[in-house]
Amino acid sequence: MPDHFAQYFEEMPCYLSVHDRDFRIIHGNRRFRRDFGAEGEFCYRAYKGRDRVCDGCPVEKTFAEGAPQISEQTLRTRDGREIPVRVRTTPICDEAGNIVAVMEMHTDISESKRLQEQLAHSRQRLAQLFEEVPCYLSVQGPDRIIQHANRRFRETFGPAIGEPCYRVYKHREEQCLVCNAQAAFRDGRPFEHEEVVVSADGREINVLVTTAPLRNAAGEVEAVIEMAVDITQIRQLQSQLTSIGLLVGSISHGIKGLLTGLDGGLYLVNSGFERGDQARVKKGWDMVVRNVDRIRSMVLDILYYAKDRDLEVADVDVAGLVAELAEVVEKKATDGGIDLRFDVAPGVGSLPGDAKALRAMLVNILENSLEACRSDPGKKNPQVTMSVRRLDPWMVIVVEDNGIGMDRETREKLFSLFFSSKGSKGTGLGLFIANKIVDKHGGTIAVDSEPGRGSRFVIRLPLDPRPSTRPVAVETPTTAVVPGD
Amino acid sequence: MDGQRVLVVDDDPDIRDYFAAVLDDHGYQVVGVGDTAAALAALEEFHPDVVIVDVLLPGRSGLDLLVTLRRSPRWSTTPLVVVTGVDQLLKDDCQSYLGTHAGVEGPDAVLGKPIDPVTLLAVLRAIAQRRALAAS
Repeated sequence: MPDHFAQYFEEMPCYLSVHDRDFRIIHGNRRFRRDFGAEGEFCYRAYKGRDRVCDGCPVEKTFAEGAPQISEQTLRTRDGREIPVRVRTTPICDEAGNIVAVMEMHTDISESKRLQEQLAHSRQRLAQLFEEVPCYLSVQGPDRIIQHANRRFRETFGPAIGEPCYRVYKHREEQCLVCNAQAAFRDGRPFEHEEVVVSADGREINVLVTTAPLRNAAGEVEAVIEMAVDITQIRQLQSQLTSIGLLVGSISHGIKGLLTGLDGGLYLVNSGFERGDQARVKKGWDMVVRNVDRIRSMVLDILYYAKDRDLEVADVDVAGLVAELAEVVEKKATDGGIDLRFDVAPGVGSLPGDAKALRAMLVNILENSLEACRSDPGKKNPQVTMSVRRLDPWMVIVVEDNGIGMDRETREKLFSLFFSSKGSKGTGLGLFIANKIVDKHGGTIAVDSEPGRGSRFVIRLPLDPRPSTRPVAVETPTTAVVPGD
Repeated sequence: MDGQRVLVVDDDPDIRDYFAAVLDDHGYQVVGVGDTAAALAALEEFHPDVVIVDVLLPGRSGLDLLVTLRRSPRWSTTPLVVVTGVDQLLKDDCQSYLGTHAGVEGPDAVLGKPIDPVTLLAVLRAIAQRRALAAS
């Protein structure tokens, strides 16, 4: 070997050695000799401190197969260090082509191994982070198919991978009209929005969603990651605060209307006294009484709303209850020139319920009907009828009037919190509370009405006690009274 | 006052009766109706000099009536007073409502409930004075 090749062999920045068929090291370069000792040693002893050849020895395989070999091994140096190496062997042949030796080159891959382990660790950490982050995380492709989803997402929305997002989030079979994931694909930038999604068990969840594009090495958007944070509790709190705000506004608005009515009554009483006009005094006093009565109803409604009390259930004698109602509302009917009739079928018996709550509910509905008649001064024979029938398993109470009637919008919003069709006279609480009382008794309330033709309320109360299955604790207004009147 | 005719549109009969009593005692002629449809019919028969209208009425609102009157060649200059229970909200609502009906002039006055007789009469008097000044 020319001197300069010998020098190259000597200075190669790796371990170089040549082995004979007995696994003796014939030559080793300087680095090899430094870490594994003198030439003439068996390689298995030099590398591993063994007494016999290693299993799968690459030198042995090279002699056997006559072809180069590549493998990874761990060697131990003379001073006890373990070094992971990539081993490459190649046969050395004589002029006749017989393999006379094997050259072995070991490249130190400690750094590469360390980086590989670090990468694997980072990947594991990232996967864990993705999996355990306390929000809904998913990755979807341009075809809207969910490719990955974290644990919380899967627990809430079910096994979503491979499904289109709109089916998973919204239980829809068509794409949503507005899709920020698609916008992120299109514009290549993040988007944020708020929406309501539906869990696998049908719960509505308010979420704040951020979508962001995921790019490949070429910078093309390959997928979109979607992070949705559950803000349902925040929205419920806001909604309750809004309810309180609306309640305050509604009360203030209602009171101002009633004060105007009181002002009117007082004006008539005072001017009637000054003139000695008894008819005017009487008219004014009636107005005062009516508005004081409205204020009382409003305060009671507010108190009922403010305290979500439990029902005090007992056997309620229905005929007796109707007699009490008649006492409360008859004068109002007479004053308004309204023909008020009660029709209680014989033998209706009793029903399980809270007598006070049921009375408040029926007074509310009856007063609503009387008001509907009063609001239609052109009506020739204003009439309100309450009929009670026992139709097992229900006690059916029907309150019917031929008053002003309601359009569809009013009908649909009738039992919503703070909706009032009565202008200055209503707080929007009365029928909401009436509905709540019926609901708490496990009953139903239905309305049939047309403008100009009157209204018909049908209340069904169960004869067997069964508490409502619907939640009543959270009161979210579905609509509000139109402000301003 | 000098037999001026006032049309009161309010669905609360007590408030109609109250306004009618105060205005009648001070020389006005008053007709009260409960909704916008009745108000439109009363305009034809009664020819009011001033209309007082509540905002929230059964059927079409008081603001609807305002827009109808302002766009009618016959009633566009008839003074109109809007009555409200929630002053600030009414102002905002009024403005946003009228904003969708470009070119429509707002009410001549907005009266916040509760309304005492002195304020009611003062507002009507001021409107009458403005009209007299404009006519001269």
